[in-house]
Amino acid sequence: MKKETKKKIGLVLVGAIVFVIFIFPLYWMLVTALKTQLEIFKIPTPLWPHDLTFDAFKDQLSQSSDTLQGFKNSLIIALGATAISTVLSIPASYGLARFKFSGRKVIILLFLITQMLPSTLVLTSLYIMFSKMGILNSYLAPILADATLGIPFSIIILRTYFISIPKELDEAAKIDGCGHLTAFVRIMLPIAKPGVVVAAVFSFVYAWGDLIYGITFITDPTKRPITSSIYNYVQQYQTLWNSTMAFGIIAILPVVLIFIFMQKYIVSGLTNGAVKA
Amino acid sequence: MKRIIKNKTASLGILFSLPALIYMMVFIGYPMIQNFILSFKNVDVYTFSQAANQKFVGFQNYLDLFKGANSVLPIAIKNTIIFTVGSIFFQFVIGFGLALLFNKKFPGCSFFRGVTMISWLLPVTVAGLLFKFMFQLNGGIINQLLMSIHVLKEPIEWLLNGKSAMAAIITANIWIGIPFNMMLILTGLTTIPNDIYESAGLDGANKIQTLFMITIPMIKPAIMSVLTLGFVYTFKVFDLVWVMTKGGPVNATELVSTYAYRLSFQEFQFSKGAAAANVLFMILLCVGFFYIKTISDDEVM
Repeated sequence: MKKETKKKIGLVLVGAIVFVIFIFPLYWMLVTALKTQLEIFKIPTPLWPHDLTFDAFKDQLSQSSDTLQGFKNSLIIALGATAISTVLSIPASYGLARFKFSGRKVIILLFLITQMLPSTLVLTSLYIMFSKMGILNSYLAPILADATLGIPFSIIILRTYFISIPKELDEAAKIDGCGHLTAFVRIMLPIAKPGVVVAAVFSFVYAWGDLIYGITFITDPTKRPITSSIYNYVQQYQTLWNSTMAFGIIAILPVVLIFIFMQKYIVSGLTNGAVKA
Repeated sequence: MKRIIKNKTASLGILFSLPALIYMMVFIGYPMIQNFILSFKNVDVYTFSQAANQKFVGFQNYLDLFKGANSVLPIAIKNTIIFTVGSIFFQFVIGFGLALLFNKKFPGCSFFRGVTMISWLLPVTVAGLLFKFMFQLNGGIINQLLMSIHVLKEPIEWLLNGKSAMAAIITANIWIGIPFNMMLILTGLTTIPNDIYESAGLDGANKIQTLFMITIPMIKPAIMSVLTLGFVYTFKVFDLVWVMTKGGPVNATELVSTYAYRLSFQEFQFSKGAAAANVLFMILLCVGFFYIKTISDDEVM
């Protein structure tokens, strides 16, 4: 018994050390945002702010800064991309899970491959295409492009979900006189809801984190997503690290909130889909 | 009669998946073909808007990329391989270690495991800037930490020196990628039945023997998908490097993805950029096929 407890204490200690090392960069982001410039460049720099200040956050949240605008733009872009990705993926994954037809395997394979593609491969052609459509510098360009990041992942996740739902359920629905479509909407969708949440969460996180489409398709500072505006902010204010870190904290806020409230979904998504674009 | 029903349900299946399929064809498939054609043309900033002057030049772009005077692509490929192998090695080893740790039950286990996930979800742009700041000469914490434990005598300019810049971007990428490795291996570990370990213990196997003779062979499929997927995702990393070093100093951290982007959107040599992106695609395709082959027996297919 005593040996057991000793072992447990050892494990907790190792776990705690891992935790501290792992979380340190995030801690550092937060304390830097709360320091004065003077303290940041002091040698050695203090490990916590002695002269605590919220000025960096105040600057970022003031009327004149791009931060809130970028946040709003990212929200519109990420929600738009999530909507497209989810609406298209649900029926597709149902079709690929429940029906046997020739070419099904090839289609699944194609979706698997698309998530391995580098964005640079389609970037130039998309740029030309969007320029012809006249949608550069509008939200639509990154929305359309970001949705392609979410679709393959969502389809793979949701397909495993639909497969795991017992077939007897839709057969029972059919006996009760439901067509395929009604069975899908009334029976399958409610059961697959957790899978839909995972798919939507990941589509959102992908779109929120995108940089390459954002900096390429949008040059208008008022339309930029937040990743692109923080990138441009650093180019401009090279050493204003407290403001940059405050900006960064605002930029990661939605993801952190999603993480806190939906951790279970995220873990299941990661292990079932095993992917990140 | 039965056949008709079968055909009807089959076409229904296609119908369900058609919208997503068409979407991906329009925004991924078609641009890929366009990119392929573009890579055999001479489109640059001069000929971009004059379709009349655009012509096919065969493999000229590819030849220029590989053989041209002061061509960067071979360096970029070499850098990408170093970046990928360096990242994956440490991500995998650390991720494996953490998976073994978190596979044990102890108080706080699920909390610690949960929190380590966060680095993987953060927008890479922000993670990159954070590490860029930590690796600064002035105010950077990494120099200070290394000096306080006497690894470094004096602060170094991590990002302005070729080799240390590569080490810095690899370090940042390891931090981002560990949770992915950990979670996938952890899932593999939970599938190993406990009684196998018990009988190994009875046979007198020690911990190292158990690890190499039982654990690793049992989760080989998980290991294979972590490694191949990790390779693909690391090989195409763009934003982290673009944010931290932009490929510098003097191409020391230029990856194929950043090089392709630079050619197309900073030098406006669209055809050359397309060719570089295609080279990246070809490499990924080979590894991707390897991955699909390993999982094709799996229930995914």
